[in-house]
Amino acid sequence: MLPAFEAVSVSKTFRRWWSRRAVRALDDVSFRVDPGTIFGLLGPNGAGKTTLVKLALTIAYPDSGEIRLLGEPNRNRSILRRIGYLPENPRFPAHLTARQVLRLYGSLSGAEPSVVRRNSEVWLERLDLGKWANTRVSKFSKGMTERLAFAQALVHDPDFIFLDEPTDGLDPLGRMEVRSICRELADAGKTIFINSHILAEIEVICDRIALMKNGRIIEAGTISEVTAGTVGYQLVVPVADGLNSWLLEKSVTFAAVNGHFHVELGDRFAANSLIDDLRANNFEIESLTVNRRTLESVFIERVSE
Amino acid sequence: MFRHGVFLDTFQESFRNHMFLFFFVVSSLVIGSIGLALNMDIVNGVFQGADILGTELRMDSRMTLERFIVQVQTGLAMLIATIGLFIALMATSTLFPQMLLKGSVDLLLCRPIPRWRLITSRFLGGVSIMAFNAVYLMVGVWLVLGLKSGVWVDGFPLSAILIIFAFIVLFSVVMMASVISENAPVGLLVAYTLLMFSPVLAAHEQITPVLSRELYRQIFRLLYWVVPKSAETIGAMRRLIMDRPLELQWVVGTSAAFAIGCYIITMVYFTRKDY
Repeated sequence: MLPAFEAVSVSKTFRRWWSRRAVRALDDVSFRVDPGTIFGLLGPNGAGKTTLVKLALTIAYPDSGEIRLLGEPNRNRSILRRIGYLPENPRFPAHLTARQVLRLYGSLSGAEPSVVRRNSEVWLERLDLGKWANTRVSKFSKGMTERLAFAQALVHDPDFIFLDEPTDGLDPLGRMEVRSICRELADAGKTIFINSHILAEIEVICDRIALMKNGRIIEAGTISEVTAGTVGYQLVVPVADGLNSWLLEKSVTFAAVNGHFHVELGDRFAANSLIDDLRANNFEIESLTVNRRTLESVFIERVSE
Repeated sequence: MFRHGVFLDTFQESFRNHMFLFFFVVSSLVIGSIGLALNMDIVNGVFQGADILGTELRMDSRMTLERFIVQVQTGLAMLIATIGLFIALMATSTLFPQMLLKGSVDLLLCRPIPRWRLITSRFLGGVSIMAFNAVYLMVGVWLVLGLKSGVWVDGFPLSAILIIFAFIVLFSVVMMASVISENAPVGLLVAYTLLMFSPVLAAHEQITPVLSRELYRQIFRLLYWVVPKSAETIGAMRRLIMDRPLELQWVVGTSAAFAIGCYIITMVYFTRKDY
C-alpha cells in the first residue's frame, strides 16, 4: 500500500540574503503516513512542523529531499487538487461572504462547480455557518473564521487534509465537532495530518503521531507505542508518628497531600523494598499506583532532553 | 488559460471596496460636467464662441469649431492621463500586498495552479479595471463633445490606448516592487518616482549637453533609454488627437521592454520565494 504522505530526507534552511544568519528548520526528516489514518505531528514552537507542511504544499521549497503526496511527488502540482489545507491563522479576502470564500477556493482547487456548490452548503451547515453564509467574512469572529477555514479545506472533497492547529480559537463544542469530522473523514478513507501542540487533543484523535524537535523527528508510532512503559510507582501512606523522619532517612521523594504521604519510586524493586520496610515497622499502606507515561510526560521528557 | 478565480476575484474586490465605483462615478461626473457645463455657440455651422457654466471663453477670432474641439480634447486628455494615472496607481497598489499577506498567500499557493498564473491573473484583473474605466471616460467624453459639436476627432478615443499602455507599464513596476517588498507604499513610491522623473528624462536632449562630465551624460542617456517613457507616452496623445505623426516606436518599444523586464523579475522572484 502506497503511503498517503512520505517525506524522504527533507532538509530546509532559511537564510536571508542580507544576513549570514541561517536557521535550520528541517534536518533530514523522513517518515510516512498511512492512508485512511489520522496522523499528529507534535512539537514545541519552532520545531519545524509548519515548515514541513508548507514544503509539502509547495508554499516553500526544500533544500534537499522529496515529499510525496498520495504516491506522487509534490513537484507534480496537479496532486494538490486532492489536498486540503487549513493554515494556522487563515486570512480570507475581506470583501467575500462565507459562501463566496468556499466557491473561490473550491474553484481554485480545480473542483467541478457543481461539487463545490453542493459541498459548500453541506459544510456551511455542518460547521454551524449556514445562517452566516451570505455575511462578509470581515464580520466573522476568530472561531467562525476558523470553522470557515476548516470548511474551505474540505470543500473540494480532498483525499488528504493538512490541518495546522485546527482547533485554535474554537470553543469546546467546536473542537468536539472538528474531532468528530476528522474521525468520519478517516473512516471514509481520507487521510488527516494534524499539526498541533495541544497534546490532549492529539491523544484523543490521532492513530499515529510523530514528535519533532529542532527540525528532526525524535519519536514516532501509535499513541500506545510512544507512551509504552512505566515511569515508576506512587505509594500512598497515611501520615503516622515518626513516618516523616523515617522516610527522610530512606532518602525517597515524597510529599504530604491531604493527610497522606505520596512517595515516588523509580522501579518495582524499590517499591517492593519500601513496602516490606513499611510493613516491618507497622506503617499502613493506603495504595500503590503504577505511573504510566502520558503523551504529555513523553512530550516534556523528550523535548527537554 | 487563466483561472477565473483570482482574475474575477480582483474585479469583485474592486467592486466591494468601491474602487471600481469610485472610478466609474468620477468618470461619469467628468462626462456629465462636459455635457452640461460646456456650451458652444454655433450659427449656420460657424463657430461663434463657447462658455463654461456661463463664463465666456476668450479665444482667437480665427478659432474654428474643429480647432476648438481638438484643443479641448487635447487639454482633457493631458489632464485625464496625468491625474488618472496617479489615482489609478494609488487605487491598485494594494492588490498585490493584500494577496501576499500571511494566512492569505498560503491559501493560494497550496492550489494546483502555477504561481505565475496567480500573479498574472491579479495583474490582468487590475489592468482590466483601469482599462474599462479609461475607455468609458474617453469614449464618453468623445461622444458628448461629438454630439454637441458634430465634430468627431478619431484620435481622442484612440488615445485611451496610450493611457492604458502607460498604466500597464507603471503597474508592472508597482507589481514588481510590491511583490518583492510585500509593501504597497513601496510599489507606489517607485512608480510615482518614475512617473515624475519621466518629463525630466524626456528633455534629455536639452539637459545632457549641460551636464559637466561625460560620465554623468552617459548615465543620464542610459536612464532615458532604460526607464519607461511615461511623459512621452502621454505627450503622444496630443499628437494623436491633433492627427500629427506619432513616431512612437522607441517610446513604446523601450517602455514595453521595461514592463516585460519587471514582469519577468516578478515571476522569477515570486515562483522561487518561500512563503
